[in-house]
Amino acid sequence: MSNTEIEIKKPKMDLNYTSNKKPVHSDTGPEAKPLPKVTIDGKTYEFKPGDTIMEVAERYKIHEEIPRYCYHPGMPIAGTCRMCTVEVEKAPKLMTSCSTPAGDGMVVHTKSEKVLKSRTGVMDFLLTNHPLDCPVCDKAGECKLQDYNFEYGPSKSNFKEEKRIYEDATTKKLSDKITLNMNRCVHCERCVRFTDDVTKTNDLVMVNRGWHKELEAADPDKGLTNDYQGCLTDFCPVGALTMNDFRFKKRAWFLEKKASICDRCSKGCNIEVHSDSDIVYRYVPIHNEMVNGHWMCDEGRVSYNDLMNPLRIVSPLLRHQDSLHSTTLQTVLGELKSQMLSANSVQLVVGTDSTREEAALLKDKFSDSLGKKVDVFFHNGTHGVSTSKDDVKLDHLLRMKDHTANTRGVEETGLAPLSGGQVNADIVVLFRNGRAAVPSMKSDQKVILWGVWTYEEVKALPTQNVLGVIPGHATIEKSGSFKNADGIVQKFHPAITHRGGAVSAHQVVSTLKSLN
Amino acid sequence: MMYNNEHFEPVITPNVDKPGCDTLDFYLKNEDGYKGLEKALKMKPAEVVDEVKKSNLRGRGGAGFPTGMKWSFMPANPVDKDGNPKPKYLVCNADEGEPGTFKDRLIFTKTPHRMIEGMIIAGHAIGSNKGFIYIRGEWFKETRLMQKAIDDAKKAGFLGKNILGSGFDYELIIYRGAGAYICGEETALLNSLEGKRGEPRLKPPFPAQVGAYGMPSCVNNVETFAAVPYILLKGWEKYAKMGTERSGGTRLLGVSGRVNKPGVYELPMNLSINDVIELAGGVKDGKKLKAVIPGGASAPMLRADECGVLTDYDSLAKAGTMAGSGGIIVIDETVSIVEAAYTLLKFYEHESCGQCSQCREGSHWLARMFKRILDGGGTQDDLDYIAKICGNMAGQTICAFADAVTGPALSSVKKFRHEFEELIRNGGIDKTRAHTHSHINEGAHV
Repeated sequence: MSNTEIEIKKPKMDLNYTSNKKPVHSDTGPEAKPLPKVTIDGKTYEFKPGDTIMEVAERYKIHEEIPRYCYHPGMPIAGTCRMCTVEVEKAPKLMTSCSTPAGDGMVVHTKSEKVLKSRTGVMDFLLTNHPLDCPVCDKAGECKLQDYNFEYGPSKSNFKEEKRIYEDATTKKLSDKITLNMNRCVHCERCVRFTDDVTKTNDLVMVNRGWHKELEAADPDKGLTNDYQGCLTDFCPVGALTMNDFRFKKRAWFLEKKASICDRCSKGCNIEVHSDSDIVYRYVPIHNEMVNGHWMCDEGRVSYNDLMNPLRIVSPLLRHQDSLHSTTLQTVLGELKSQMLSANSVQLVVGTDSTREEAALLKDKFSDSLGKKVDVFFHNGTHGVSTSKDDVKLDHLLRMKDHTANTRGVEETGLAPLSGGQVNADIVVLFRNGRAAVPSMKSDQKVILWGVWTYEEVKALPTQNVLGVIPGHATIEKSGSFKNADGIVQKFHPAITHRGGAVSAHQVVSTLKSLN
Repeated sequence: MMYNNEHFEPVITPNVDKPGCDTLDFYLKNEDGYKGLEKALKMKPAEVVDEVKKSNLRGRGGAGFPTGMKWSFMPANPVDKDGNPKPKYLVCNADEGEPGTFKDRLIFTKTPHRMIEGMIIAGHAIGSNKGFIYIRGEWFKETRLMQKAIDDAKKAGFLGKNILGSGFDYELIIYRGAGAYICGEETALLNSLEGKRGEPRLKPPFPAQVGAYGMPSCVNNVETFAAVPYILLKGWEKYAKMGTERSGGTRLLGVSGRVNKPGVYELPMNLSINDVIELAGGVKDGKKLKAVIPGGASAPMLRADECGVLTDYDSLAKAGTMAGSGGIIVIDETVSIVEAAYTLLKFYEHESCGQCSQCREGSHWLARMFKRILDGGGTQDDLDYIAKICGNMAGQTICAFADAVTGPALSSVKKFRHEFEELIRNGGIDKTRAHTHSHINEGAHV
């Protein structure tokens, strides 16, 4: 694994259903056995024995032909929504493609008249009790009920009875993160299987039966307790489970979607950054079997709030008399350079949340650009982690103890850890991306802050002797690469454009060098 | 008499009218109790399976699957992935919940040892040492009686270690359901037995591969087990001769509704439904027969003119209905078919497990539609749409529940459309009744 390099890319497919299944090919050679073949919609595909029809379709990226509610590649098969039924020749009934194993020589039709009629029937049934409150529903625009109804649904319903209404259904808080609107639910039970089989917390159950069937927290007093609650809203095909963090913030169709990487811990979950006018509204996970599967934790999911923080420093600041003042980068860098040159000793502390490229640049070029020998160390300090050896898994899924993204990558550049987490120089330059901890220091330590900082963090520093602040790009605003806890190097590109006065580390270094 | 079958003799119910017939003493003294077991234990398991296969015994729970065949599907020596032998389980489905069916209750209360004996023989045949009896939650008294019967059998050495010196061990465990109709479906029953939600499982894997607690299991109906001792004792020929070519033995029919002598009748299968009604004393108060539900609530209705059909599995299937669980519901001319069908649909609306989209929403939709028609809000379009809903439900779901719902709904609309139209025209059941009464009164005047 240690030499694996992957590039984070935006998937072409729907996020919730992405699967990394690849086409298979028969071995060649005299002893090789041919792989079984299945015919789907007139084309013949090779598959691995044991694949279901849906999995074969996933291998060849034709699974969008098969609609589904309850099936999810990351969860056990339920086979209950009956939306994915396909016609298998010689089978008396329609078969659920999610659960029917593909057989050699099987002929499958995903769009036959019988199949389409059945799908129309399912849509007709599902819509009978759905409130059709799309105008106020956060899922509108990315809702499978809308999509599939557009494609397969009946043009009109004959349902003349009273709709089912659950008590207090529209604003049931399952936790402080998740709101349930039971009226919208299509009872696919992905959420129940998720808490049973993925998080293994068993905190959601279905109570009652038949058309009274209702989703509830297993312990209504505690509510949801797992750390992956945001995932519920990703795979909920309708607007039944919504995230309070995103509720009523933005219509889905306004969101621009770019791939990036979550820098909240050393796992490096692949994410899609959803933004409008370079304002980020949410992160959602991208499927990557090697890193995060289909999931991401809640802490990472809401971490966009840190860089959308209105108190984030986005213009260069310089100390004048007793306070920090906004001015041009040239002025700040010029003043800071002369101060550093006249100081006895200068230390540069690189946070382990920097990219590999930044760490290498600072290690090799910073002294040179300043024209003075500077000691460069790295520092982590999150949750008591100082090097990657201290990093441990916090649960069986994704969460890591190390809350910076690139500890292994920074270590690889050959930098030494800051001994004892204590800085020791006349002037200390702290370079970080808003994740690594601030090292301990004397109360009158002169510091230069570089990277992603907020006013709150500046105020909370042990010292108030801040000479200046050089704002830098956050992870989703720049390109680079991280090496995660498992040794996988992941490259990424900017997901949004930084609209403030922050500049790249490279630009700062070259400006410093050009100044006299 | 009218049995018209010289081979017929009661297999399960020869003595159910005698006092004390549920005791072990009575069973041993008067009914050759546990003699069939004695014989079976001397045979090889495969021979027992063969005997049952040849007897043409078909499952009495509703689907009518050949019992011997089902037993032969059980793997001989199942092992887990580490190569350790896996236990096999036998499960008795005593979750008799079908409206109109009450035959298994008779076995539980009147001749429980016959079923226990049948289960031990079946256990020997499939190589299982443990059996579960899943009893319907509402059966308090029956559970007590069965537990007593099991305790008695154990004391007498028919259960436990080394039964009758054969080296065969068998243990029976009673498990009470919580009152859900769907738990009569074999895989929902297995889920319920394991303490999970009573929801049918996806098949495959079938219970013979992955059943109760993940082990190979065989699920049979009470009546099926109760027929087994006779087959072993008297031989398969005698049993097979009583039935038709493809279905051996006798059937317990629970006749209910508008008949003079409702109750459980053990009958050969070459009788027609009309014969059965006649045996049950004819239609009550000399009224005219309107319709019959021949196999429990899920079976599509038959019109009075179709009731010449025989009560065996194949004849009923040919007539577009099913033998089901043997609950014959007789409906006379005083009953509104719409109301009768609504009563059944209300039951199904309440009992759908809610897994599959079609069944969860459809059973509710149909019940509400029938209610609306009864209340006078129906239209002609509704009748066509009922057929459409049924078409979208039947055969599309994990288990056969959705098909069961469409049984009464579709057959009532198809065969008694005029009654629906009358209700729609008159504006509901109350107005129709008032109309009919005034009509009769006017007639009296003339």
